[in-house]
Amino acid sequence: MELIFSLLQQLSVYLVIAYLLSKTPLFMPLTTLSGHFSQRLACYVVFSLFCIMGTYFGLAIENAIANTRAIGAVMGGLLGGPFVGFAVGFTGGIHRYSMGGFTDVACAISTTAEGVLGGLVHLYFMRRGLVEKIFNPLIAFAVLLVAEVMQMSIILIVAQPFEQSFELVKTIALPMIIANSVGAALFMSIIQDRKTIYEKYSASFSSKALTIAERTVGILSSGFNEKNTQKIAEIIYEETGVGAVSITDREKILAFIGIGDDHHLPGTLISSLHTKQAIENGELIFADGYEVAYQCSIKSNCKLGAALIIPLLDSEGSVLGTIKLYEPKQKLFSSLNQSLGEGLAKLLSNQILSSRYLEQQTLLTQAELRLLQAQVNPHFLFNALNTISAVIRRDPDRARQLIQHLSQFFRRNLKHNIESVKIEDELQHIHAYLEIELARFSDRLKVNINIDEQLLAQYVPTFTLQPLVENAIKHGTSTLLENGVIDVTGYLENGQVVLKVIDNAGTYCLSDKELATGLGLQIVDKRIKNSFGENFGLTMLCQPGISTRAEIKFPFVSENT
Amino acid sequence: MLTALVIDDEQFAREELTALIEEQCEVAIEVIATCNNAIEGLKKLNQLKPDVIFLDIQMPQITGIEMLAMLDPDTMPKVVFVTAYDEYALQAFEDNAFDYILKPVEPNRLEKTLKRIQASQKVDDYQVLTDKPLSLIPCAGFNRYVLLKPSEIEVAYSDPSGVHIIGNQPNSHENSCSLSLKVLEDKTELLRCHRQYLINPNAIREIRLLDNALAEIITSSGAVAPVSRRYLKVLKDRFQLG
Repeated sequence: MELIFSLLQQLSVYLVIAYLLSKTPLFMPLTTLSGHFSQRLACYVVFSLFCIMGTYFGLAIENAIANTRAIGAVMGGLLGGPFVGFAVGFTGGIHRYSMGGFTDVACAISTTAEGVLGGLVHLYFMRRGLVEKIFNPLIAFAVLLVAEVMQMSIILIVAQPFEQSFELVKTIALPMIIANSVGAALFMSIIQDRKTIYEKYSASFSSKALTIAERTVGILSSGFNEKNTQKIAEIIYEETGVGAVSITDREKILAFIGIGDDHHLPGTLISSLHTKQAIENGELIFADGYEVAYQCSIKSNCKLGAALIIPLLDSEGSVLGTIKLYEPKQKLFSSLNQSLGEGLAKLLSNQILSSRYLEQQTLLTQAELRLLQAQVNPHFLFNALNTISAVIRRDPDRARQLIQHLSQFFRRNLKHNIESVKIEDELQHIHAYLEIELARFSDRLKVNINIDEQLLAQYVPTFTLQPLVENAIKHGTSTLLENGVIDVTGYLENGQVVLKVIDNAGTYCLSDKELATGLGLQIVDKRIKNSFGENFGLTMLCQPGISTRAEIKFPFVSENT
Repeated sequence: MLTALVIDDEQFAREELTALIEEQCEVAIEVIATCNNAIEGLKKLNQLKPDVIFLDIQMPQITGIEMLAMLDPDTMPKVVFVTAYDEYALQAFEDNAFDYILKPVEPNRLEKTLKRIQASQKVDDYQVLTDKPLSLIPCAGFNRYVLLKPSEIEVAYSDPSGVHIIGNQPNSHENSCSLSLKVLEDKTELLRCHRQYLINPNAIREIRLLDNALAEIITSSGAVAPVSRRYLKVLKDRFQLG
């Protein structure tokens, strides 16, 4: 009985050491079962030490040692697998052997066997996917119980003389079984606690990061500027609870929220050496106010006492700006916010990049439009001139009219800056264009225009109808030997404006993919969608050999609104 | 006196070119007809056998270049291409020194071209432009044009009235065609089975052997084409019939 208490006393010291160690980073790998080499190595080192410690803490009895060595071996096996278990047990066993005594061999063998037993249990649960069970203290208790019974049996079998070993086992069996089992259960419980704390920490980290990511999505899509970064800074400030948040570009503060926002004003040029250094070298700087001094560079009595400065990098690694998190003097930076800050910088960098991409796309569309406007089909131009020179011969007045139509058409094409026009104006543009084409194809083209009067004042993006009509002639009726007909119609249907350009050739039958790459029609569609939303736009319908129909739909805007 | 044919799908363009040709007095040349598409052009070409054709490139259904491919190189007139703007074609004309004029037509340039044509004895080889197999075969039916794909033709034959085509479509039986059998043989899959007959190998249903080493072919739609002694051997080799 006395032995039980003595052993439990030793065990307490042993567990206090375990508890203290659990506060160190050394313990971190033990809480996962990653199976990585580093995790296995950590298991081996930590539990071999405990194994040896268990031997030293033992009580010498009758030329043998009552001890808690088994805990290290079995735990090593449980958390590290059979190989680690064997290695830990073997190390502990050799150590015990070196101490001598009549049970030295028996103890060495049994410790190794205990390590392997732990490893086998580890394997059993891993194979069945019951990872959580390995961390269950009751399981540890049970395994140790079995292990100790096994050890006693080995001592009885191996240690000589038998009488002496039998006496020994009678004395130590119960205390050792109880002490080791309870010890293992408590040890596992310590590890389990660490694991829970660590997981809670990661969970709160992830949930914060996710919330921020979710709330900031799309804000930067219209550019990395003061207005947008202000919103981002607000969100980060609310979610992290730091003293202040600032976002800068390479030259100045774009946004600042929190303590000290009376003197850290957006638009102020960057004066902090830390920030300059972060921008210069693209490196993270943590001025915690202790190891690295922090002093606000704007105002000497600023309450801020520590700053974390993280550069925002683009895909080539050049610095776009920085994000800065501050804490006031007297308050420590939580490590949570430190690592969160780095993640945030990545998130914002990506958002800035995608916004740049969008911006470039818009520019591209504009450039495409310019191209469309400027790109007067040379074929059209020379044919028009040829037609006019023929008409001059016959009918100079008509030729003069045609020249006026041609110049009207070109003048319209040169007006780059108008985004949208009334359908009425667009029809005039078509009219000028069609006068020329009708002269060219005088004997085989007819055009019927029939647009509901109430649509005439509606606005459409410039160059909406003309490319469709041009398309219908170029790819449609001009391929017919005779009797080309183009119908341009417009009417109101369920509050939507419907404009159609229909030819009777049915030769422009493209797959959706081809349509998507055809520049002219693609731009028409894109511009309708930009003006009215994704639900509207251009649809092409082709019945081979019969007709091709281009149809545009967009909402009707009544005069009063 | 040279005779000329103007082929252009635009009425004013035809009128303008004809007027310009007739206005100049350097070269004696007369426009004997104008046509508004390539099919009409082929027909007139066979009828009138002009010395020169003025050929617009961008025309409906069959372009100028495609039409050129349908002409028999042996009986081909001189060709002047006419175009408003066509980067790729112009490059080819320049590279091969073919005659071409641009719309609107400059009278000086036209005169130069006409003089060159009058003086030149060389026969242009248009193979660079016309090397591709034909994709459409223009046929003239009664009061209509029919454009057949080569795969739709079963038999083509010639008789004193011209070349005729039997198609596999119910409405395309017996069309007269302005292309020579030689062009059809060179530029399509059709095989020669008789001096006056071409047959589409994919349309053969039966080769019936007759006396005197003659044969006849029955096509999928029931048309019959004779096979002469000389071409029977070629056909047998082609289908690996002993």
